[in-house]
Amino acid sequence: MLTSARFVALLPLMLVAASAVTVMLGIAWRRQHAATVAVTALGLSLALVAQVIAWQAGPVQTPLLAFDGLAMLGGVLILGSTLICAILSHAYLEQYRGAREEFYLLLLCAAAGGLTLAASRHLASLFVGLELLSMPLYGMLAYAYRERRSLEAGVKYLILSAAASAFLLFGMALLYAQTGELRFDVLLVELSGETGLWGLAGVGMMVVGLGFKLSVVPFHLWTPDVYEGGPAPAATFLATASKVAVFFLLLRLVLDVPGLQGRWLQTLLAILALASMLVGNLLALTQSNLKRLLGYSSIAHFGYLLVTLVVGDGLAAETGGVYLITYVLTTLAAFGVVTLISGAAGGEDVAALHYYRGLFWRRPYLTAVLTIAMLSLAGIPATVGFIGKFYIIALGVEASRWWLVGGIILGSAIGLYYYLRVMVTLYLLAPGMQRRDAPHDWGARAGGLVVLGVALAVIVLGLYPAPMIDMAAQLGGVP
Amino acid sequence: MEFAFYLSGLVAVLATLGVITNPNPVHGVLYLVVSLLAVAMVFFSLGAPFAGVLEIIVYAGAIMVLFVFVVMMLNLGEAGVAQERAWLRPRTWLGPSLLAAFLLLTLSVLLWRGDAGMLMQRGDALTAKAVGTRLFGPWLLVVELSALLLLAALVTASHVGRLPTTPKPSSSDRRQEAP
Repeated sequence: MLTSARFVALLPLMLVAASAVTVMLGIAWRRQHAATVAVTALGLSLALVAQVIAWQAGPVQTPLLAFDGLAMLGGVLILGSTLICAILSHAYLEQYRGAREEFYLLLLCAAAGGLTLAASRHLASLFVGLELLSMPLYGMLAYAYRERRSLEAGVKYLILSAAASAFLLFGMALLYAQTGELRFDVLLVELSGETGLWGLAGVGMMVVGLGFKLSVVPFHLWTPDVYEGGPAPAATFLATASKVAVFFLLLRLVLDVPGLQGRWLQTLLAILALASMLVGNLLALTQSNLKRLLGYSSIAHFGYLLVTLVVGDGLAAETGGVYLITYVLTTLAAFGVVTLISGAAGGEDVAALHYYRGLFWRRPYLTAVLTIAMLSLAGIPATVGFIGKFYIIALGVEASRWWLVGGIILGSAIGLYYYLRVMVTLYLLAPGMQRRDAPHDWGARAGGLVVLGVALAVIVLGLYPAPMIDMAAQLGGVP
Repeated sequence: MEFAFYLSGLVAVLATLGVITNPNPVHGVLYLVVSLLAVAMVFFSLGAPFAGVLEIIVYAGAIMVLFVFVVMMLNLGEAGVAQERAWLRPRTWLGPSLLAAFLLLTLSVLLWRGDAGMLMQRGDALTAKAVGTRLFGPWLLVVELSALLLLAALVTASHVGRLPTTPKPSSSDRRQEAP
């Protein structure tokens, strides 16, 4: 039944889907890049407003979706980052020869999938949401299909993602065979009693499937290639909205039944977390491509985030929320700069570090944004990244997870080195060689303004984090 | 009824192995048809005739035939004809036919014994009406989202599969034009 409370809760999803349909009809009628972007941005902004209103209205449960605090915060983050991706895509696709409008259609479809996934409380909605999130991403990553790397990224993601989906489905089938139940809360309660061999195998396979989407070590092999090859706005969406949705889903799974995770699941997650932090950071050390470097850095960041799942009680939800907000803001700023510089001309993205050598002397403000993003990724105080890292370490210390705390500290120390290396490159003297650059009036365009705004938010929330913490605190989690 | 379940399951596994070990796409597709028929039999033996019939009509009937057509149409020309002739050798169709015959045998034994209803797994048989009311009642959201999923897949396929209508300028030209 569609009661008014459910209608309000579902409104963001409906608005996103409606704008996708509008964009589709618009393409069929007449191709107009600017108008398509306007419709997309309008739809996403309305959905964002509706999401905030729904959050105020309080939690709603439907058989398939649970609109609780996690879903609401997840929705706000997903819609916000999708909106920024759409505006960045406008700057990026201006020079693209070929059909540009389909990108926004795919972007909207993926956003709808993300909203569903972050709110799902049923294996069916989980699977459909995950597929709806991944399917448009294949198209977005392979969008510039005349570039070899873009096509490679799309195909690589398609095949590996299909394999991960197969694992996930097999795991679901085993869990269903064990318990005869598809709803998470009932399912997990059933499992917490007597797990059995099939239940164990099912949970393990689901961890593989979801770990792939989060690109946690050892399921991370696709990440650097896909990040490097995909068009910058698609990679931005993959790094922010897509990962946020999957992580909020995992957080709900863990928080729903605090007693569930027997020791083995906690140990498994702890090992994955530790491996991701160390491997991600170590592999990032030798990268000379900014997008690859950001890919490895996102592996490491999700290693840190897994700590909240390992602890799984107390402040875990709030920590996860705060860290994700900081991660999304910072990643958007970093990828935004790459997008603006790459978008000026056709051809492959400008991501090799030597293009950025001496950027400061040409584009001081853009360099400032990238510097802020790097400082925040490294977790330097006065940026938002510090607040997130502080939360995670506090959570680990409180739960006496010393191995994980050690891993975070070691990982951050390694991370500092390569983030600083990027920053040093920015301020070196420019070489005389031919290079590509952002357009001269980048700061006066929508894409430039958005990137500047995100960078400002990174600093402001780093100095005055209260609004962000209040938002995350509504997730509850403190018993 | 249990023997039907296990036998069909065995056929499904063998046929799927045939799909992935076969170097020739058409042969693989034939095995895939058998595999889907076997899965349909599994559904029948579990007391879900509706799902079984859908599996046959939609997958084995419509989608697989389309697959076979497309794969065959890609192999046109002289070499294609020689290929066709080579495909008519028993080696090609014997495997899938044997497996399919085995399925037929299982089905006819079931029907011959005539006690299919009694030996079915417990529970009501699922009807089309029940599936419909469930899908368009509480599960409406999933149906709508699947529609969106198909739209995204379609748009992706049409975009990536698009051929350039006019010769595009090379990337070096583009770079010079850019301000």
